Amino acid sequence: MSYERRLNVVAALVPLVIGVAAAIMSWNLGVGSLSAPGPGMWPLVVSVAMVITAAVLVLQSRPRGDEERFTKDVVTVAIAAASLIGYAFLFELVGFEVPTIALLVLWLKGLGRESWPVTAVVSVVATAALYLLFITGLGVSLPHIIQL
Amino acid sequence: MRIGVLLAAVALAASACAVQGGSSDKGAAASGYPNKPVEFTVPTDPGGSTDLLTRALAKSIEEPLGAKAVVVNKPGANGKIAGKDVFGSKPDGYRIAVMPQSLFAIGPLMLDDADPVKLTDMTFIKGLAVEDYVLVVPADSKYKTLKDLVSASDVKYGTTGPGTGSQLSQTLLFGLGKTNAAPVPFDGGAPTVTAVLGGKVDAASVQIAEGFKQVQAGKMRALAVFSDKRLEAMPEVPTAKESGYDVVVDQRRFVAGPAGLPAEVRDKLAAAIDKAIASPEYNEILKANYIGRWDANGDQVGAQLNESLKRFETLAKDLGIDLKAQQQ
Amino acid sequence: MDFLSPVIAGFGVVFQPENLFYCLLGVTLGMLIGVLPGLGPAATIAVLLPITYNIEPTAAIIMLAGIFYGAQYGGTITSVLLRLPGEASSVVTAIDGHALARQGRAGSALGIAAIGSFIGGTVAIIGLTFVAPLVAGFALDFGPSEYTALALLGILLITTLGTGSPLKSILMATVGLLLATIGQDPLEGVSRLTFGVDQLLDGIDFVIVAMGLFGVGEILYNLESLRKPAEPAAAVGSVYPSRAELRESKGAITRGSVLGFLLGILPGGGATMSSMVAYAVEKRASKQPEKFGKGAIQGVAGPETANNAAATSSFIPLLTLGIPANATMAIMFGALLIQGITPGPALVAEKPDLFWGVVNSMYVGNLLLLAMSMPLIGVFVRILRVRQAILAPLTILVTMIGVYTVRMSVFDMFIMVGLGVVGYLMKKAGFEPGPLVLAFVLGGLLESSFRRSMRIFGGDVTGFLTQPITATLLAVIVLIVVVPPVLRLSKRKRQRQEENVAA
Repeated sequence: MSYERRLNVVAALVPLVIGVAAAIMSWNLGVGSLSAPGPGMWPLVVSVAMVITAAVLVLQSRPRGDEERFTKDVVTVAIAAASLIGYAFLFELVGFEVPTIALLVLWLKGLGRESWPVTAVVSVVATAALYLLFITGLGVSLPHIIQL
Repeated sequence: MRIGVLLAAVALAASACAVQGGSSDKGAAASGYPNKPVEFTVPTDPGGSTDLLTRALAKSIEEPLGAKAVVVNKPGANGKIAGKDVFGSKPDGYRIAVMPQSLFAIGPLMLDDADPVKLTDMTFIKGLAVEDYVLVVPADSKYKTLKDLVSASDVKYGTTGPGTGSQLSQTLLFGLGKTNAAPVPFDGGAPTVTAVLGGKVDAASVQIAEGFKQVQAGKMRALAVFSDKRLEAMPEVPTAKESGYDVVVDQRRFVAGPAGLPAEVRDKLAAAIDKAIASPEYNEILKANYIGRWDANGDQVGAQLNESLKRFETLAKDLGIDLKAQQQ
Repeated sequence: MDFLSPVIAGFGVVFQPENLFYCLLGVTLGMLIGVLPGLGPAATIAVLLPITYNIEPTAAIIMLAGIFYGAQYGGTITSVLLRLPGEASSVVTAIDGHALARQGRAGSALGIAAIGSFIGGTVAIIGLTFVAPLVAGFALDFGPSEYTALALLGILLITTLGTGSPLKSILMATVGLLLATIGQDPLEGVSRLTFGVDQLLDGIDFVIVAMGLFGVGEILYNLESLRKPAEPAAAVGSVYPSRAELRESKGAITRGSVLGFLLGILPGGGATMSSMVAYAVEKRASKQPEKFGKGAIQGVAGPETANNAAATSSFIPLLTLGIPANATMAIMFGALLIQGITPGPALVAEKPDLFWGVVNSMYVGNLLLLAMSMPLIGVFVRILRVRQAILAPLTILVTMIGVYTVRMSVFDMFIMVGLGVVGYLMKKAGFEPGPLVLAFVLGGLLESSFRRSMRIFGGDVTGFLTQPITATLLAVIVLIVVVPPVLRLSKRKRQRQEENVAA
């Protein structure tokens, strides 16, 4: 089986499995009847449609030319996603300023290989701009530690 | 790796400082309260009557309280998201919430929830407002009185959503009248009024502000109000009670903080709210929304919530209505 | 013409310097927050409400209205340049707009969008002036059964939005429909597929889904090529659309104006639905439907015109019936309340100054927006010249903070990052986010309307056919969705037979 073909099979199997799980959960919610649909009917209809479409896609897994290989660059993406999770986690705990600068430094220097001066200037200026825009300018209540 | 260490150090140093805004709950001690902005959390999207009321309150409270007041919207789950968030924070008086009665007196009767916000999670500070419900029908409806409607053979009634006073008031009304009636829940007041205006449902119970102008313009007819006494805004409309159906349902709003709020902080807040609700801005909002004042101190708020819950529960039991099953 | 005298008096109101100032302030602010993803007009107007206490009512509403339609202009910019829809109604613009930007035609896309928005907005204001009372009833005619048919039509049109395999589009649409069922059941309040998480009780906000799958997914995907030698950046061509492009977009702008105006009147339908329908209509009307998704200028012109026309006509239910048609109108309702005015059916008669002042200010506001956006396009396209390594973190930060401001919820940030990863994986596997996101919008409408209808019809499905508008819409569905494939099939069959005969 070619790489693309395997990719297509996996890509269709994931919604297939989710669809089956959703169908079971929907069934348990109570389906009712067509004249008096219960909470589970619509999710059931949708998940069954999902399972059927996904199943057809598993069978028709020949490469279509819109698939892309996963290369070692996937590591970069994983680090980026993890850093965003960390950002959200720290956001309310320590205010937005420190995680914002940290995230910028990581992305600019770590992922983007920018020079230190560029990294420093961009992260500090951007954080200040975000502060001025959201907190001072628009009066949005973001968690923050610096008082103006 | 140097970057990581550096960042960790900075983060650690920064976390020692106090965080302002958002849902942070780190703050200074109660002494000298208030010495930083007080956050009023609203459990709805911006723009609704509760939001407007709270914003007017926050604006007028800054002077008597001697601190800045910030309004934060945390909509979701009929107010539960805001409640869980605020009442789970430190009881220092810097984070308080405006809560609806329905979350405590109506929700539990109609919806299952394994982990609700409990009355004991809160310190009640002050009652704010009462909003009454009015039963409306389209202007060209054949039902002229409440009796006509209740004795009809087949009624489809609109409600503003599951677990609302709109649904409860009509469930009880049609339950008392033994009417063959089916609820059609909409997503809020505006779509419900639209459905009545378009004649898509036979009747609906909505808050006064949501339907008053349409009634006044003759596009809808008000058959009854679900209040104890007739309302100032529409004195010609009889109460459901007068027509022989003892259904009194309203929505109330109150200010509460986390359980264990120090007494002096609570009193200070209550006194400041008292001054704020006398302001013209606040009263303008009440008037434009046809909202009544709920003059109650903290203890009275708690008593009212308990009383409402018991009353609805007994009423439903006497009628033999299973409110949860009524949703279906 | 007696009818026109208050209209003309309304212009007198608009041209008072104070009102002009607030109009300018409103549209500028609107454009700014339209550019910021997540922070929508509803939230901005809410934040500004307290300020309006001290402003005269007409000026206040003129300013707030400006924010609303100004945001529709701004939302386009990030959609086209960064594939980051700032507003729900700009999602479909991201599809072809961004493709155009990659070809160095960002200026054309933005220019056409601005011109289309101006025309759509202006057409809708003229409609608002002359036929508002007539069409207001249209909003009331739409009840649950009509919405069921409309949503069904929309969902069936979705599969035409994808560019790749139709099967993949359908799968994505079902995923969107399933995502939309998360949260409390709309009729019975039972929580569905929430896994006991309170934050999911009200479902996932549309903005989060759109920004996660489109914006964050795109950024993550582009990170892969961050360290590779940069592709030669597409030369930014002319910053203005050419004559040929204008000619190509003429039909799209015309159709978009009418569609947007009509759909905008419907409460709950509004700008998002109109932009989608406009896109689908353009793709069907086009002689080269295969160009859609790869940079068809009509794919920008149609939806952008429609969403602006819809934004304007969504004022009709509020001003003539006292019914807010969407979240922003609900806040506008609140703004009027603060001024001691309760909007209702009698507003035009009671406050003609306010009514016509606000309506006429929109002509001016739209002109201001056009005048501002054309020169700014040259500035905005420069964003594309910023190095990816610098642009990516800045974009992601604004997106993260923007999503937080929707509900002040960190949980929403997590969901968005999760959806971003899904969006990245989808792109790798050749799935498009468009059908998913749009099905997500319509899924809830279809289900709740269908179930409400069934309650109203007492469980009788044939009830749908007794409603004239519903029955008409269902007939349209049969005509445009079912008939063409059947025709195509029989044509192919005939061809094959002919080939056989010839052979």
